[in-house]
Amino acid sequence: MTQAALTVQDLHLSFLTDEGALPVLRGLSYTLSPGKILAVVGESGSGKTVHALSILNLLPPNARVDQGKILYQGKNLLSMKSSALRRVRGRKIAMIFQDPQASLNPVLTVGEQLIETLRAHKRISKKTARKQAAELLTKVGIEEAEKRLEEYPFQFSGGMCQRVMIAMALALSPDVLIADEPTTALDVTIQAQILRLIKELQQQSGMAAIFITHNLAVAAQVADEVLVLYAGQCMEQAPASRLFSHPLHPYTQGLLGSLASVERKEERLPAITGNPPRPGEILTGCPFAPRCSHALKKCFETCPPLYEKDGCKVRCFLQEGK
Amino acid sequence: MRRYILRRLCLLPLVVLGVTFLLFFLTQRLSPEMRASLYVKDPRQMGALEEVIREYGLRDNVFKQYGRWLVQVAHGDLGYSPSANMPVAQALKKYLPATIQLAVVTMILVVFFGVWFGAASAVHKDRWQDFIARFISVGGFSLPIFVLGLILLMIFYGKLGWFAPGGYSIQTDIIIHSSAFKTYTGFLLIDSLLNGDLRVFCDVFAHLVLPAVTLCIGSFALMVRVMRSSMLEELNKDYVRTARAKGLREYRVIYKHAGKNAIIPVITLAGIQFIRLLGGTVIVETIFDYPGIGRFGVLAAQQLDIAGILGFSLMVAVLFVIGNLFSDILYMAADPRIRLE
Repeated sequence: MTQAALTVQDLHLSFLTDEGALPVLRGLSYTLSPGKILAVVGESGSGKTVHALSILNLLPPNARVDQGKILYQGKNLLSMKSSALRRVRGRKIAMIFQDPQASLNPVLTVGEQLIETLRAHKRISKKTARKQAAELLTKVGIEEAEKRLEEYPFQFSGGMCQRVMIAMALALSPDVLIADEPTTALDVTIQAQILRLIKELQQQSGMAAIFITHNLAVAAQVADEVLVLYAGQCMEQAPASRLFSHPLHPYTQGLLGSLASVERKEERLPAITGNPPRPGEILTGCPFAPRCSHALKKCFETCPPLYEKDGCKVRCFLQEGK
Repeated sequence: MRRYILRRLCLLPLVVLGVTFLLFFLTQRLSPEMRASLYVKDPRQMGALEEVIREYGLRDNVFKQYGRWLVQVAHGDLGYSPSANMPVAQALKKYLPATIQLAVVTMILVVFFGVWFGAASAVHKDRWQDFIARFISVGGFSLPIFVLGLILLMIFYGKLGWFAPGGYSIQTDIIIHSSAFKTYTGFLLIDSLLNGDLRVFCDVFAHLVLPAVTLCIGSFALMVRVMRSSMLEELNKDYVRTARAKGLREYRVIYKHAGKNAIIPVITLAGIQFIRLLGGTVIVETIFDYPGIGRFGVLAAQQLDIAGILGFSLMVAVLFVIGNLFSDILYMAADPRIRLE
């Protein structure tokens, strides 16, 4: 087996609040294979964005990693010195965010922001950096790149800003791209364009990507593999085609069952009843048990382990021994 | 941009007309005799009051009198100021540069230290740097300026003898009034350098230190607060996270990215504070016996020197409009989203 692009091992993370530490991630583990796209899907509050931020240690000050490792090329990113981590950020692991317009600095030109990214990691002249910046913009489908380098983010539309963010993330040909809900703030038509662009550039460069989304349709469109996150734990991880055709976990089944479909004629879409546990709620059994129609007695008593079978992982007693 | 500046400058006469007419109208509340008595220097000439009233047309309609004053101003004659014992124009020319000099030095201190302390305070929130900055800013804010001025004067002049009050020393007075010393701008700090006389420069600067520091501490407090809260807000924004994610060095993230955004409200505040300093440094000028325009204005008001008051307000109005325009232009330079149309 080839070396993993990124490995997350037993990641525990909590938010420090006035009411004490609220656990957000409870032992998340996964492996990202080189050149593959892993979609991490979950409801809001499931910890998917926090997990993405923890990879490059961009967490807000009130978040604390309690336990676990994030390994990149054999080194633990979580215990890396800030100067070493800085050289990984942007160069080896790059990130794009949810709100592209807010994610670009409003008072610096797009060119300045691209050029500084290049020059933070490469010893090149401003002129060379400028040329490369223009090439990057062209690559992400922005016309008249030379001219647009001079412009400020507010002169770009949301979709164009996300293209700039993508150009910035790809500037140093990273090994891993982390995309945190990159299309959530965009129109549906623009969404499709951006997804296609990311997928295309990912295939060209052969980098691995983690795609954070709450949108199953988005995950289906781009992912090679899907990880379903619920209350800070992995519920199911499987190759995308397998997960969408044969979901094993009742939660995944519920999520897929609640999708609108042209073939179905029901008046109301089925929804999963109840609410996800609040952060910090003490969970003894399976976090999904209270909402699960298949729940057994033991589901409320102990949390099921992740059962592994043919490259799929499921956290459910129903899969025990199967 | 050029059109915007021109349009704003067109506003200038309107503001000046408004301010001066308002003041002119208020002075009409005084009887013609009271106003005429200002022109009489010798009590024995009091009998000639009626003559003075007739000569200056003090019983005329207010618009007629105001119009006459305007024509006079248009010819460059602001009248004679009894309180300063010289023509108003000459008094303004004499006192204004000293105040502008003081205000500029003060603002440089305020902006430099305010931005620095405010940024450090935000970056090291709830650590010792933050506590020091907050302590100084709350202290400076609550300490009355005249108390602070007197304390500084007591320590640095009374005990240490370093910084004397006044605008300059007697030796300097002799030098600058000698024929060898050429006046180019009226600003002694600049003129002394142009004359190549470092002694005068140092002397004038030494006399500026205490009033500038006193004024600075009052304005500095607000500047630190504005910079701190603005910086805290910017540091939490998404683009700061992006800058970190790109692998930029931390000082670049803080100063280039967050700092450039955080400075925008500071520019507005600095503009307001600068204009306020130009017209309102009277307490400090009095404490340090500094020959500035604020003292001239207050003296004119106390002695009912109408020509002096009108001249002073005219100048403040002009400075106000120009100062605002200047801070608008700076504002635009700092924030590309703002287009002046």
